[in-house]
Amino acid sequence: MLRVEHLTKIYPNGTTALRDVSFEVNDGEFLAVIGLSGSGKSTLLRCINRLIEPTSGRIIWNDLDVTAAPASELRNIRRQIGMIFQQFNLVKRSSVLTNVLAGRLGYNNPSQSLLNYFSPADQKLALENLEQLGLADKAHVRADSLSGGQQQRVGIARALMQDPKLVLADEPVASLDPVLAHSILKYLEQMNKERKITVLCSLHFLDLVHRYATRAIALKEGQLVFQGLPKEIDDAQFKAIYGQEAERVTII
Amino acid sequence: MAFLSFVIPGAGQFYLKERGRGGSILAAALVQFGLISWSLNLKVAQWTVGRLTTSWLWIVVGLFWIWNVYDAYNITQGKSGSGLIGIFLTAFVIYVIAWQVTDIRLDRLVTRFGNALKILNDIIHPDLFARDASGHWIPSENFGYIFGTIQSQPVPDILVRLKLVSAGTLIPGYQAGKIVETIALGLMATLFSTILAVPISFLAARNITARIPGGVVIYYVMRTFLNIVRAIDTLIWGLIVILWVGLGSFAAVIALTIHSIAALGKLFSEEVEHIDAGPIEAVTATGANLFQTIRYAVIPQIVPPFLGYTLLRWDINVRSATIVGMVAGGGIGFFIIESLRLSAYTQYAAALWAIAVVVIIVDYISAKWRESIEAGVVQTSAAKPRPFYTSLRAWFFIVIGVAAFIYCWNLSGIDLKALFEPAPTFWQLIRSFVSFNLDPEVTSAVIAQMMITIFQALLATTLGGLVAIPFSFLAAHNLMGRSRFSLVIYYLIRTLFNIVRSIEAILYVAIFFYWVSFGPFAGMLALSLTTFGLIGKLFSESIENIDSGLLEAITATGATRFQAIVYGVLPQIVPPFVSYSIYQWDINIRMATIVGFAGGGGIGSLLYNNYFPFGEYRSAGTAVALIVIVVAIMDFASSKLREKLI
Repeated sequence: MLRVEHLTKIYPNGTTALRDVSFEVNDGEFLAVIGLSGSGKSTLLRCINRLIEPTSGRIIWNDLDVTAAPASELRNIRRQIGMIFQQFNLVKRSSVLTNVLAGRLGYNNPSQSLLNYFSPADQKLALENLEQLGLADKAHVRADSLSGGQQQRVGIARALMQDPKLVLADEPVASLDPVLAHSILKYLEQMNKERKITVLCSLHFLDLVHRYATRAIALKEGQLVFQGLPKEIDDAQFKAIYGQEAERVTII
Repeated sequence: MAFLSFVIPGAGQFYLKERGRGGSILAAALVQFGLISWSLNLKVAQWTVGRLTTSWLWIVVGLFWIWNVYDAYNITQGKSGSGLIGIFLTAFVIYVIAWQVTDIRLDRLVTRFGNALKILNDIIHPDLFARDASGHWIPSENFGYIFGTIQSQPVPDILVRLKLVSAGTLIPGYQAGKIVETIALGLMATLFSTILAVPISFLAARNITARIPGGVVIYYVMRTFLNIVRAIDTLIWGLIVILWVGLGSFAAVIALTIHSIAALGKLFSEEVEHIDAGPIEAVTATGANLFQTIRYAVIPQIVPPFLGYTLLRWDINVRSATIVGMVAGGGIGFFIIESLRLSAYTQYAAALWAIAVVVIIVDYISAKWRESIEAGVVQTSAAKPRPFYTSLRAWFFIVIGVAAFIYCWNLSGIDLKALFEPAPTFWQLIRSFVSFNLDPEVTSAVIAQMMITIFQALLATTLGGLVAIPFSFLAAHNLMGRSRFSLVIYYLIRTLFNIVRSIEAILYVAIFFYWVSFGPFAGMLALSLTTFGLIGKLFSESIENIDSGLLEAITATGATRFQAIVYGVLPQIVPPFVSYSIYQWDINIRMATIVGFAGGGGIGSLLYNNYFPFGEYRSAGTAVALIVIVVAIMDFASSKLREKLI
């Protein structure tokens, strides 16, 4: 269970990215975060694992106060929270396998991992995850030789290595061809259903939200403006979230 | 408004919202005013009117003033004239002063032309081969000094102990020559400086220091440190280091390493700052600690560019290693100084040729390796790569590398103990160095010599650049056509550029002091020669990179080749030519700070002849501080100017 309480983030340049945001996520949910670009979705996701330090407010995850955790405890929390990025954030020059194994770093002895040593169990797990994502034959190629969709699947495999209980997905399909969006989101859905991993996923397209999310929240200029089931987003709600000029678009 | 400009040059333009123009005019007026007032004492451009002695350049300043008022008036009338007249007048003042201060004596080029022929004759007859008694050509003794000899020497101790051979057996062995020693110096310095520059570069990168407490302070301290160390040339470091570990190859290695750490540290840290932040974010999010994040998200991104810069530095270090011996001892630089002391110009010539050959080869290898690193090896095969320790080829290179390392280590006389036993004078030097001598006579001498240095660099860039322009057209593949004749010319000029630029300016000074005698003029000419080679290559490459479509279109209109060049090529190459010239001036100022070590005048001669030999370290500190300031300003200004141009 994740509780976000009165979360506010003001950047040093004065921009208020989040303004008193509070909501809860139950275990096993697939929560979609919607809103325009710049509405604070990325900031919200990054505040949850403190890649960005919140200005005020609290984040409670399984009764642990993330916002107050000291560095070593924070790393312990982080390793249980996987993250998937819009730009995939793979190390382009490293092999796919190394990128996937990097997901295991939080569990490993730092001095061993500095020498690029991963236990046989880790290696086996990495190959299994890659196989599940249909990338078994790509383990030893360089990450930048893969297509965008394949790179995002490597990103998912890296998150799975953490054996996460929660996955934060920041616009996981925004950099991909629309036709690939479903294939990536299906993997997230599978994770959510089979492994009981809670998913927090920011999305652009409303029909993807309808199709995959069990619940949705919406941000507008850093404030929470909607909380409820995807099907509750009617035309009035839609205009309230996206502004009067917005039009609904569908992909495939 | 014209009146405003009459009172303060540029003020009218500034008031009329032509901010940049007004500022430039004011700056130009200040430069003219300052330079002329400064040069009055040096009897530059003297003009006696009755009892008053002044500079006739004030007339030019008057013209500039009138032009500036007229220009302001023009703007009020809605016309905007070209600034060319103002630029021309300012440049005129600067060049007249530069010409006289650097003691340009064109007459000597003619009256002492006999000397030029003599030394040219020596240069094309280097002392490398000689006839033996039976009339066969064999390598001369000097050849052995430079490239090494095969001599009988006792077998290594270990073989005797293993009882493989009896003690006292002689076997033929290779006695390394001076050029081999030079290569070793360059290699060792590159190795040491790379190892030391890596941690420093992390502390000088904004994105890394932002993650550690007190990082901002560390960042600024490191950056300032790197900029200061980098502004001081290897040879000046050589003067300092010989007081630390004494004259010899080891001093040369240290001097090269110090300068090289700073140069690499700057490039490395910029590379660290430009890495993709995405993977760092991703690895941090997995719960990895700082070291794990650096290992998995930062290092894979920076290894290839670091390797590329290291190879580039290796090339530069071998070049510097050819001259560092002139002050620090060791390598072929020391050999050259010895030859010049004995006026053995054919030996000097042999050394120059040897340097040219070695530097051209190193330059070629380094460029090839850098190309292949840039291209990268994209491994697409599905097979798991074999670990390197099962590959015979890898072991072959490891063994060769280790052997080369040990060989070079011994050759460069590395003596780590000496590092901890500096001469007492060294501490005196350190103390004096930072308590600057600001006596008026010292500061005025230092400033005067620094001005000479700057002017030498300016004139050398102008002269070398102007001479290089016609040659660069002949060395551009796309303009030369495909006939056999033009190909021959192309390769001849490219080779000329490559040979000329492979030799450091300071090594050419000897040629010119033989021709026109000691002083800033000789130094200027030496700088011009290197400039010719360096800038000629850059110019011809920028001609080769022009958009050929325009050339094609103009040729299609029936224009002659000359017309095509004027209309299709010139407009495209002016910006890169100007940009390269500014860059070259920047480099030339650095080189000009040391041409004085070989008799080429400027601030180097003050350090080498007046301050260091007499232990006047406080005055030396003043001179070095001024060098640091000027080089840093030039570096900053030239990069800003070039950014604007491109």
